[in-house]
Amino acid sequence: MKKRLALASALAGLLLLSNGAYIYAKARYGQFLLERAWARTRSGEANAKPWSWADTAPIARLEFPARGASYIVLSGASGRTMAWGPGHVDGTAMPNAPGNCAISAHRDTQFSVLRAVRIGEEIVVESADGSRVKYRVKETRVTNDRDLALLAPSGGRMLTLITCYPFDAVTPGGHGRYAVIAEK
Amino acid sequence: MKRLILALALLLTTAAAFAQNDLVKLDDVHSGTMLIQTTQPGLYIPAPAVDTDVKLHIRGLIVRGQVTQTFRNPASTCAEAIYAFPLPENATVDRMRLTVGQRVIEGEIKERGDAKKVYEQAKSEGKHASLLEQERPNIFTVNVANIAAGEEVVVAIEYQQTIEYRDGAFSLRFPTTIAPRYVPNGVVDAIRISPPVTPAPNPIHITVDLDAGFALREIDGVTHKIDATPQSGSHYVVRLENAQVPADRDFELRWLPDLGSEPKSAVFTESSKSGTYALIMMMPPQTQRREALPKESIFVIVNSGSMEGTSLNEAKTALQLALDRLSPRDRFNVMAFHDHTVVLWPDAKEATKDAVGEAKSFVDALKAESGTEMLPALEAALNDTHADSQEIRQVIFMTDGQVGNESELFQYIQSHLGRSRLFTVGIGNAPNSHFMRSASRLGRGTFTYIGDIAQVQEKMTSLFEKLESPVLSDVEIRFDDPAAEMWPRRIPDLYAGQPVIVAVKLSQPNGRVVASGRLGTTEWSDTHSVASNDEESGIAKLWARQQIESIVDEAPSDMKQKVTDVALQYHLVTEYTSLVAVDRTPADAKGAVCEARKVPVTLAAGWHGTTPDGSLPQTATPAPLMLIAGALLLGIAALIARMQS
Repeated sequence: MKKRLALASALAGLLLLSNGAYIYAKARYGQFLLERAWARTRSGEANAKPWSWADTAPIARLEFPARGASYIVLSGASGRTMAWGPGHVDGTAMPNAPGNCAISAHRDTQFSVLRAVRIGEEIVVESADGSRVKYRVKETRVTNDRDLALLAPSGGRMLTLITCYPFDAVTPGGHGRYAVIAEK
Repeated sequence: MKRLILALALLLTTAAAFAQNDLVKLDDVHSGTMLIQTTQPGLYIPAPAVDTDVKLHIRGLIVRGQVTQTFRNPASTCAEAIYAFPLPENATVDRMRLTVGQRVIEGEIKERGDAKKVYEQAKSEGKHASLLEQERPNIFTVNVANIAAGEEVVVAIEYQQTIEYRDGAFSLRFPTTIAPRYVPNGVVDAIRISPPVTPAPNPIHITVDLDAGFALREIDGVTHKIDATPQSGSHYVVRLENAQVPADRDFELRWLPDLGSEPKSAVFTESSKSGTYALIMMMPPQTQRREALPKESIFVIVNSGSMEGTSLNEAKTALQLALDRLSPRDRFNVMAFHDHTVVLWPDAKEATKDAVGEAKSFVDALKAESGTEMLPALEAALNDTHADSQEIRQVIFMTDGQVGNESELFQYIQSHLGRSRLFTVGIGNAPNSHFMRSASRLGRGTFTYIGDIAQVQEKMTSLFEKLESPVLSDVEIRFDDPAAEMWPRRIPDLYAGQPVIVAVKLSQPNGRVVASGRLGTTEWSDTHSVASNDEESGIAKLWARQQIESIVDEAPSDMKQKVTDVALQYHLVTEYTSLVAVDRTPADAKGAVCEARKVPVTLAAGWHGTTPDGSLPQTATPAPLMLIAGALLLGIAALIARMQS
């Protein structure tokens, strides 16, 4: 009886561990595939899909020079998209276009980097036409998931990066959000 | 014992249900409301409005609204509240004053960063201050701390908006009702046992001072019985027949100008320290006596990769609709562009059945291709082979506007427009509205946004109906004041059902203004004299707003500074300026200050979770939870195994 219980526990444990690891692996390996798709986008291919069945395409590269990190941003911020990389929130300005461009990603994968980002730091966005715009972090804000003011339009070029908060929380689905707001 | 537990449970559910039933969310606010904060974020208790006084001052298309409301804190404790005021899309609050006991909180326009600093400093000093914030699109909020139990708060705000003109009538709606109460899921039983809420009679007084600029055929209180007293000329004072009415429905007023069969113009003025401002309003005639003039239509459609899927299908549907509407007397051409431009015919053709058929199959065969080179397309579209013709030439440009070289395109439009008019149609999920709106303004046309395939038919039909009935073209407005500064600089044509509005700053208070244009083949003009006028009617603010729009269109390198300067001078809330509320209580005024507190409420079931439209994306993976739980289970397994051995 006890043996069976131990076996079941071990199996369930392994299953959970591998599922968790799979999520991280997807977030990491996905970025390699996305880099390739981005290179195709940059050479003029429109809607370059990272894999044939993808329902999203890379639209920008987001760089944190001070952190030595860079991620390919995908169109749309659905859960399916964000499993692979940061997602551009539909309806907000396109990367490097005038207005407020909102990008969101998971706090425990790509956007764990936001925890270290400081006010005054530089963030660079490269868009499909090759233009590179430098943004400077103006504000970091702890807020909640109802704070739609984060998505409000803006006159100048503005970048709003959103992730979950607190960074160390274990359970997903919380209402806390953390935002980094940068302006050109 | 059992009975006691039962009674206790019933009592608890009743209390929870009562509190819950009275709670509202910010999204539920449909009129000026004072909301008492509760311990549940996002849920508020609405404070009853004791009295509401509304003064609406209307000049032409501009409304200045003055709303003074008195609220009472319904909680039995000292509370912290939010004043929330929903605004129509084109309205902004520019003045605000709150009075709480002896405290006066006054709104000031400051540069956005400065406003935030003032607010943060006051907050850190424990003072009462607030930033006028836009919590949701078009809901403005102000925080007010320390309202004693039963204490009254007086809020006075001023806002400005422009009125819609549709089907020959102007109409204005003022929201007076408080939103219906929110009933959360899963507490239906609880609500059944909660005491019924008796509607509190919130008295409201409304006075409208109306000068439409034209004689009126009719003034109609759509929702309430009104008394309209004519003053001089086109000026009326409108009051409710019952001086006080319960605020149980919105107030709507409609007025129909008597326009006859010729275009008409009207001039309003506002004099202030900074100068004299004039508003020139041109109205199309009520009845169109001429039949539609023949015209040349150039349709341009983008089939670049960014349009792939629904966007391209929407654009194609829209274009097919347009082709169906052409009259045989019209001439037309179709162009499609991605990285190069494909022109159907070298020159525009008469819209014969065959030509329309050929164009329709050309459109039908379009597929998404790579690249977006807009300049060659614009060059082809504005290449006018009959530049000296009196015929109207309309370019209808359908695109998602995803371009990089905006300023180059703007310059081209400005210098090559000629007799053509540029009408942009924005298609797709996230069209570059800024580009398209600016391009149409420079092109003396309009911008139409189609966000959803279901809107294609409706929006395109209304655009084409307008395009088919131009009333007055080559509209010009001239002043005998050489220093007159006019916005917009390029005046669009006058179409049926759509007035043209121009705001101007004059260097002298008196002078003459001549509005002119071409009515088909005849010339039309109207002369007015400008008189100085001391009442504040919002013309200076409208002028400043239009100036800001032009600055944003041109997007100079010092745009932020230029916009901020204008906004500060004219007391406007913009992208770069905010209204910050500063507590102006004199230091010696010693009111009873209590500790700000949020009123506790019980959270009922069904309140967790978020709505798909109303919240930010979910941004955490279950991976850490899985890893920890997995490791834990492995540990347990090991422990059990060891215990056994």
